Amino acid sequence: MEFYGYPRPQDQFGARNHVLVIPCTRVCNIAASRITQYVYGTTTVITTGEIGRTSKDRERLARLFIGLAQNPNTYATIVLGARKGFGYKEVEPVRIAEEIATAGKPVLVLTVEEAGGLERLVEQGIEAARRFVADASKVRRQLVPVSYLTIGVKCGLSDGTSGIAGNPAFGNATDRLIAAGGTAIFSETVEIIGAEHDLAARCVDPRDAARLLEMAVQTEEAAKATGEDIRTINPLPSNIAAGLSTLEEKSLGAIAKAGTMPIQGVLEYACRPKKRGLHFMDGWMSSYSLPMSLAAAGCQVTIYQLGGEDLPSNDPPMLAVNTSVVAPLMMITGNPRTAAKAPRSIDFSSGKIITGEWSVSQAGEELFQKIVSVASGELVKGETIRYADPLEPFFLGPVF
Amino acid sequence: MAFQALKLHNDDNVAPMVVEGEQGAIITVQTPEGSLPLALVSRVPYCHKAALRPIEAGEIIVKYGKPIGRATTAIPAGAHVHVTNTEGMRGRGDLAKGGGN
Repeated sequence: MEFYGYPRPQDQFGARNHVLVIPCTRVCNIAASRITQYVYGTTTVITTGEIGRTSKDRERLARLFIGLAQNPNTYATIVLGARKGFGYKEVEPVRIAEEIATAGKPVLVLTVEEAGGLERLVEQGIEAARRFVADASKVRRQLVPVSYLTIGVKCGLSDGTSGIAGNPAFGNATDRLIAAGGTAIFSETVEIIGAEHDLAARCVDPRDAARLLEMAVQTEEAAKATGEDIRTINPLPSNIAAGLSTLEEKSLGAIAKAGTMPIQGVLEYACRPKKRGLHFMDGWMSSYSLPMSLAAAGCQVTIYQLGGEDLPSNDPPMLAVNTSVVAPLMMITGNPRTAAKAPRSIDFSSGKIITGEWSVSQAGEELFQKIVSVASGELVKGETIRYADPLEPFFLGPVF
Repeated sequence: MAFQALKLHNDDNVAPMVVEGEQGAIITVQTPEGSLPLALVSRVPYCHKAALRPIEAGEIIVKYGKPIGRATTAIPAGAHVHVTNTEGMRGRGDLAKGGGN
């Protein structure tokens, strides 16, 4: 199996051909926003930023920025700063740009100080972005094996179909990609609680198994420290309305999305896999956070597998729009009712499993074909909309 | 449709519905080893779980062949199994030292 990808340095292939604008201090959010509104083919990552956060969290933010720029879907990056040497060292513009440059792709630093003012920075950014976009358009897609593909998944709005249809169908598609030499990343640390021992037993490296169990313990201890029943936080009211009774039930349904292959690596937040195959990454389940975090870990296609039984009955809003920054966010469901009520948003339905028309394996094969088509350039429905939801990096806190 | 609920693993004592389950209906449950009839003693909505046999208070609720929680009351066969009669056992900050409020 092959897909059409944009060739990049260091033997990588992109599913998209974006020019990324990074406001590495949040005071440049306004400039990044204006430049990307003006120039076709650009995208940006507007967050609440670095101010008042610990060095660990500032480093996580830097990792997110660098990872999005190094994602094969990014052709070139413009890093916006206030001034060279300004602010916290972790998100200092030259440092960010130097790390991005190790991927061998074009990167440019522009600062307010050197441009001679914020509005001059916007002008310079527009000029540079238009040049990069024109250059990017000269790159031609090539047919390459799917072993060059990394996909990331999150599940959400889980209901009783998630663990029977949606997640198993995705898991089957994941197995197919990995059998073909590709890579897949799943996450949502809170939703391995109750299923962590099954996952640890699938880790090929005992150190990864130990780290995965430690992540589950840390998350459960943090939940207990709140003094609240985790059921009042997760599962969400929508999950409970749709039939899920406990976190353990949600977790056991959720891990079906990880298929059946061995786990080759357990990754810290927003870190890239070092080898191919199935990986788990520490991450926050929020759909405003995880898709871009998976993209920062190198996923060229991200997939949101939703149950959706509790959604409003006609053309409901999706829980995330374009939150992967440089990667398509494909919406899939295993609930035929969700597919019927949200045809403008759902890209793929494995609902025929519930109605008995498809086996999980048939659904997995169809989904795999769809993912490869999206990697080759087919737009997902969200990509036809010029809007992105707010983005929340997975910070550890506290804030000061 | 040939079945209305799915028993996912031999050890399971609950099965999720794939249609709306009306109180009093006799439904067909597809299991790993063929199908079984089950009389619903309460309404069990689409995607929600029905008890496959009587479950005692304190007994472990099993789905996917794994524990998903504990019964807080006795649950008759064919009844709706959900938050009113089932509690989670993980991440229970409310039961931890200093929990509550």
